[in-house]
Amino acid sequence: MSLLGTARRRQSTHAPADARELGAAVVRDLDDREVRLRELWRDRPAVLVFLRHYG
Amino acid sequence: MQLHRDRDRFEAAGVRLVLIGQGTPAQARHFAETLNVDLPIFVDARREAYRAAGTKVGTVGELLGPRSVLRGVQRAVTDRVYPGRTVGHPAQLGGVLVVRPDDSIAYAHLADDASDNPPNDEVLAAARAAAQR
Repeated sequence: MSLLGTARRRQSTHAPADARELGAAVVRDLDDREVRLRELWRDRPAVLVFLRHYG
Repeated sequence: MQLHRDRDRFEAAGVRLVLIGQGTPAQARHFAETLNVDLPIFVDARREAYRAAGTKVGTVGELLGPRSVLRGVQRAVTDRVYPGRTVGHPAQLGGVLVVRPDDSIAYAHLADDASDNPPNDEVLAAARAAAQR
């Protein structure tokens, strides 16, 4: 790791070909309940905004 | 962060707009209450979803480059959002994905540096197209 966990070499982003792996990821809601991401787009499309960090 | 202002437009388009952040649910709740963000937030403490989404970790230059600093100042003035104490991996960059129910990706904009955010109208247009298919 380097300063503040920054990357030493410039990285590239890699948009996934599909959302199957992403859909299997488990996150938590604000009440600390586990949610599998796929649940968010099971019935309609979802816009996922990945935040950089809070603050 | 401006998307929450457009929540109604996304809802009208028939898509679900959600935020994914780092840290703990309590930190996310504090963030939402402080900035008055009225959107569903989910936390990904291990950054499993960040990796699966293809986001990247920035270099020092990508986090602190003049482009980022200038835009940060500009946003602070226009949005009255000031950089506070960092919660989460400080070099993790974000992004936006639009995902359809069949697991296909309708749109992706993954940040190349700290100031790289897609225009809301571009995301909204992609969301509308995804909902109509």
